[in-house]
Amino acid sequence: MARRTALHPQHAAARARFVDFHGWEMPVQYRGILEETRTVRERGGLFDLCHMGRLVVEGPDREALVDHVFSAAFRNLKHGRAKYGFLLDERGYPIDDVLVYRDTERVHVVINATGRGKDLEWVQRRARALGADASVREVSDEQAMIALQGRISEHVLQPLCGADLSQVRYYGFTTAPVCGLETLLARTGYTGEDGFELFFPVAHAGRVWEALEDSGRSLGLEPIGLGARDLLRLEAGMPLYGQEVSPEIDPLEAGLDFGVDLSKQGTVGIAALAARARGGPARRALSLSAAGGRVPRPGYPVFLGERRVGVVTSGGMSPTIGRAIARVLVEREAAQAPRLDVEMRGQRFPMDVVPSPFYQRPRA
Amino acid sequence: MPDRPDDRKYTKTHEWVLIDGGTATVGLTDFAVEHLGDLVFVQLPEVGREVSPGESVCEVESVKAVGDVYSPVAGEVVEVNEALSSDQSPLAQDPFGAGWLFKVRLGGDGATSTLLDAAGYAAALATEGQG
Repeated sequence: MARRTALHPQHAAARARFVDFHGWEMPVQYRGILEETRTVRERGGLFDLCHMGRLVVEGPDREALVDHVFSAAFRNLKHGRAKYGFLLDERGYPIDDVLVYRDTERVHVVINATGRGKDLEWVQRRARALGADASVREVSDEQAMIALQGRISEHVLQPLCGADLSQVRYYGFTTAPVCGLETLLARTGYTGEDGFELFFPVAHAGRVWEALEDSGRSLGLEPIGLGARDLLRLEAGMPLYGQEVSPEIDPLEAGLDFGVDLSKQGTVGIAALAARARGGPARRALSLSAAGGRVPRPGYPVFLGERRVGVVTSGGMSPTIGRAIARVLVEREAAQAPRLDVEMRGQRFPMDVVPSPFYQRPRA
Repeated sequence: MPDRPDDRKYTKTHEWVLIDGGTATVGLTDFAVEHLGDLVFVQLPEVGREVSPGESVCEVESVKAVGDVYSPVAGEVVEVNEALSSDQSPLAQDPFGAGWLFKVRLGGDGATSTLLDAAGYAAALATEGQG
């Protein structure tokens, strides 16, 4: 029996189509994946992310513990700032990809839905091994998570919010009342657009969702399903755990060097990753695109001439650039080719190797 | 529940087939098209191909998924809806009319897939909890 989030009634009322997403009954679309993707690029959208996992780390040794399990530089991260990285196993392969938010009294960690339970157990185990005086709790079920993404985001949220949002920078966060409710609000997201992610007690999820919808209605705000969310993040060059990066694909192969600090001492998995990195990664992640037609999908094989050199990790039809797009992982030797063939249902189609990301929003 | 034309038959795999003399026109139902969502590509069969009932002869691809279309009848493909190669919107907007996929000249021993009438198809969808 699939689990439902606190916002399920709102999705049903909006006539969402649901899909099973790792054991969660989630809206995959409301009006259509392409239309919803365009809505976020042109105006703004609201996302139910209550299925995602969240940890809170507290106690005197909380920062030492986070530094120990988190792959990216953390010591120099300022309070009120967020950073992307990985929980690595001893072999330097990711158990999960995470966003770490350094708060004054605690550290918030946003993990994937698939990391619920598993990540908590891992961090607790490492805390015991380290002898850290820190408590790690999973708050996924007591805390709602909603994302507001797109250029109208600040205008939608500001009237409901007690903080001056213009003071919250990209990858910054603060705690402020939203709809009168103490909320952690972060200028982060997974779409390549400006926007916010809100964390607050789950009992108020419906009320806050509806208040955001009301505030955004005249600006064209719409609810957005997981289908468009996947396309938006792919267009913006953002990885999905389990596809671009996984227990078999390390962050350097995936081209996610910015989520790893190889100079860190005493962080789980960094030494193994650094040793492997010395010769350069054996595989490389690339972006491909082609004029319309078939849609490249995860698992499709990639060829250079007659040789199979890799696999599609994510793919889709991009409404923003009007082309079929894919992220692929290929042997290092194939990474210089200007064009690769992707086999789609038994037929090979050439795709151009193109710069990443596929889409970058124009900055003011 | 949508009104589906009762001049034709349906399959549990969501094709419709309209038999007129010795020729069968085949398409996808509104349910299948709605379920696929945004359509981006149609791979039509080659004219002249011999097909048998239940054989996958055509693919309809959406943003979300690829759907196989199975021939409900035996015979030779004599015409395909070439317009869908460049524009899939007739299939999305008029699946029982302008969105037809291919025509088969009936042959073989006249074998077909299990065919349902419109009410039978609606009942099958309801049984699957999809109607």
